[in-house]
Amino acid sequence: MSVTLPRNSFPLVVTGIAFGFLGLFLIYPLYRVFGASFLDASGTYFTLHNYAKVVASAFYRDSVINSLTITVLATLTTTAITAPFAFAVARLPVGGKTALLSLAVLPLVLPSFVSAYALVLLFGHAGVVTHALEWLGIPFGSIYGTPGIVLVYVLTLYPYVLLPTVAGLKALDVSVEEASQNLGASRWRSFWTVTFPIVIPSILSGALLVLIETLENFGVPFVLAEDKPIMAVEVYKLFVGETDTNPASAGVLGVLLVCSTTIAVVIQRRYLGRRRFATGARRSPPLIEAGPGWRSLATLYCWTIVLISLVPFFAVIEISLMEYRGPVLHPHFSLENYAELLRRSTRPLENTLLLSTLAAFGAALLGVPIGYAVTRVRSRLTAILDIVATMPFAVAGTILGIGLIISYNSGWLVLTGGWLILVLAYVVRKLPFTVRASSAILHQIDPSLEEASINLGVSPMMTFARLMIPLMLGGIVGGMVLTWVAVASELSATVVLYSGQWQTLTVVMFQALEGSGAGLAAATASLLIFFTVIPVTLVYRLLRRYEMSLL
Amino acid sequence: MTTVTIERVSRSFGSVHAVREVSLEIRDGEFFTLLGPSGCGKTTLLRMIAGFCELDAGSISFGARRIDTLPPHRRNTGMVFQNYAIFPNLTVGGNVAYGLHARKVPAARIAERVATALKLVHLDGYDARWPHQLSGGQLQRVAIARSLVIEPEVLLLDEPLSNLDAQLRVEMRGEIRQLQQSLGITAIYVTHDQEEALAISDRIAVMRAGTLEQVDKPDAIYRDSTTPFVAEFLGVTNLLSGTITRREGAHAVIKAGATEFHVEGTVTGLGEAVAFCLRPEALRVIAPGDAIPDGWASLEVLISRVEFLGALTRVETQLADGTMLRVALLDQPLETLSVGHALTLAYDPRRVTGFKAA
Ligand SMILES: Nc1ncnc2c1ncn2[C@@H]1O[C@H](COP(=O)(O)OP(=O)(O)OP(=O)(O)O)[C@@H](O)[C@H]1O
Ligand SMILES: [Mg+2]
Repeated sequence: MSVTLPRNSFPLVVTGIAFGFLGLFLIYPLYRVFGASFLDASGTYFTLHNYAKVVASAFYRDSVINSLTITVLATLTTTAITAPFAFAVARLPVGGKTALLSLAVLPLVLPSFVSAYALVLLFGHAGVVTHALEWLGIPFGSIYGTPGIVLVYVLTLYPYVLLPTVAGLKALDVSVEEASQNLGASRWRSFWTVTFPIVIPSILSGALLVLIETLENFGVPFVLAEDKPIMAVEVYKLFVGETDTNPASAGVLGVLLVCSTTIAVVIQRRYLGRRRFATGARRSPPLIEAGPGWRSLATLYCWTIVLISLVPFFAVIEISLMEYRGPVLHPHFSLENYAELLRRSTRPLENTLLLSTLAAFGAALLGVPIGYAVTRVRSRLTAILDIVATMPFAVAGTILGIGLIISYNSGWLVLTGGWLILVLAYVVRKLPFTVRASSAILHQIDPSLEEASINLGVSPMMTFARLMIPLMLGGIVGGMVLTWVAVASELSATVVLYSGQWQTLTVVMFQALEGSGAGLAAATASLLIFFTVIPVTLVYRLLRRYEMSLL
Repeated sequence: MTTVTIERVSRSFGSVHAVREVSLEIRDGEFFTLLGPSGCGKTTLLRMIAGFCELDAGSISFGARRIDTLPPHRRNTGMVFQNYAIFPNLTVGGNVAYGLHARKVPAARIAERVATALKLVHLDGYDARWPHQLSGGQLQRVAIARSLVIEPEVLLLDEPLSNLDAQLRVEMRGEIRQLQQSLGITAIYVTHDQEEALAISDRIAVMRAGTLEQVDKPDAIYRDSTTPFVAEFLGVTNLLSGTITRREGAHAVIKAGATEFHVEGTVTGLGEAVAFCLRPEALRVIAPGDAIPDGWASLEVLISRVEFLGALTRVETQLADGTMLRVALLDQPLETLSVGHALTLAYDPRRVTGFKAA
């Protein structure tokens, strides 16, 4: 009987570090938030009183109902609108396809609360379009509340459904459809019985991302909800609010929010885990030959969605170039907003660039080895790691922020008030991006390459550094740029965690929106767009070349 | 310089016993082949030697040194993979030099050894090429050069030729064998192609469901299979069964259906059931009027199917009770073989292999 020791310590090291990091900066903070919800006012005794209070309050009950309603509506609408779009782009001769796909990525760049605000500037009580319509005597309903919020979600989140669905349709091997038609199914029938079921997992994985995003989103309802209570906003107000700070109630709402998103993530993993239709396409299906009628209809449909989704961009840039006196917009061209922005301080811009860069490197440093361990080493430990590394998806930024503050504002490790706590929050939140990006590319690299390297005398650790990193570089860089961009436009954790000199661009926008500096906010947003559009466009070109999808 | 000793090695995956209590002694400089059907555990055994698969029990040693406790990168084996596993981010030269860098060989020596190794596999001058510019056969040569250049104690090859076309396979297997002999290196070769195994091996181990069925030289494996499984796995054969009815001199006589077969030796006791095999090429046609060779036995059959393959003609015949008997004839005029006609066949009883009833 010989005892077999694990001879490859690399996965163990990776898993250990990952658990250590996530334990400290994800699990423990969450535990503290959860804990706060079960403690009485003095913070010592266990109680369910906080829950009773929240449940008894019609206001908070409404916030839960509103959040769930908006989430379901937004997810269904986005999916229903985007699935045909994806099919048209993938399979029909739509005009200007390359431009279409490049533009469709842009909504991921602009923070959704800025889109929401752009909509307010156009269609709000004092909006440009509202005024124009009133002047023309056309009555106009309200952009505030549920319809406006859902609209903004649809316009900003549809790429989450579009990109994986297009990738899924492209990954389908043509022989599957041909087989179906060969067996006597009409083209229509083979679409509904073969093609569609095969891409359902792709559509769903996008839809669930939308669902989670909308549940967690804080900025959009903050701008558009007016008096309507929304969970993510109430959590923030309860914790940061000037009048009635109440960590216990914030904790209760936080628990409810995290539970809802966790359920979504669990369903996604369970459902998709059993349905992997990787057909390993040899040959993508050809474009369907459509008559000119269908063709123009499809082109019109796709371009309409993309152009409408770009309205906030144009509005923001346009508004940034106009003159504001106080809250009143004057239709004159002016660079005053930018001048004002630069007069104030360039610190927020520098902060955004610095913190995003640090976070992107941090997330890659941690996420790439995790992605590797999860994909290549099959053990109970890595299975748990896989779940833990997906958890940040389910944790709203505000709640992670609150947890980090409760956990590290005193004691052996004090982080509040500095830059590190922001970077840590970003790394935790965006970790799933890099983990997914690196495991996606690993799936395309034959495992025997590693074995060959080890067999030739290079240790597993060195094989990872010298062989795998270069092979994975495309995916790693792609993941890093996405992280960079996502962090640059992050608001929900930042707004809880930033302090004094560590303001970022998004915080400047947020404060400007709360105040009356719409012009300033628009100028800041334009600056952010300028700095993020270029890398995102480059990355998607790169990804399309590798024919992979990170979502 | 290396013998490989495998002692009572086992490995299971869940409820599947991939390798069960396998013991083997592979000699220094031997070309040793693991042969068997898909899923019998060949790859698993090879990967245990390379260190990519943990042992549940047992030990593996190179010479007197036990290696199954060493991590794979310190075992000094050279593995050639089925799909080549050429690093796409390195040139041909970079691929071959990879293991030398890991061994901290001085740069000047590396260049020299890479050149020698490439020359060995007839790829001189290919240093600077990128893998995607090479054909499948060339990639496999790079893979071989890459594992040979580190001067491994044992060369491990897992179906290295299965991705190549038929003609190239034959060519490459000859080259691999020649290379191995000229270097005198111990090689363990995995394949499920019996012809390949017979053609190049010093010895073959036939595996079945994780265990060793027979280990011997190629001709012994083929001619004196010890089990019906081995006999059937190594090429076309006639596997028959009957009972021993009497002895005739040095022969035992087996009655299978209505036909009597002669076997050399005793096989087993009188009246007992036996299985036996008779290779199709051991049967000869006896033309009417010709004499049966001395010491040979004969039998009568009806021709039921004739397949002309050029040099060889395969004939399916029926014994009196309808049992099928395959015959392979070299250079036999086709007009002597018409379907439905009777034929007299003769064989040397030494070519009948009897198996004790399982
Ligand atoms: N990593 C693994 N996990 C689970 N089962 C495995 C694993 N590797 C091998 N097996 C099982 O062990 C048995 C032996 O597999 P092995 O790969 O050694 O077969 P093989 O003889 O090389 O077959 P082939 O000729 O098809 O390559 C098979 O039943 C296989 O399914
Ligand atoms: Mg195998």
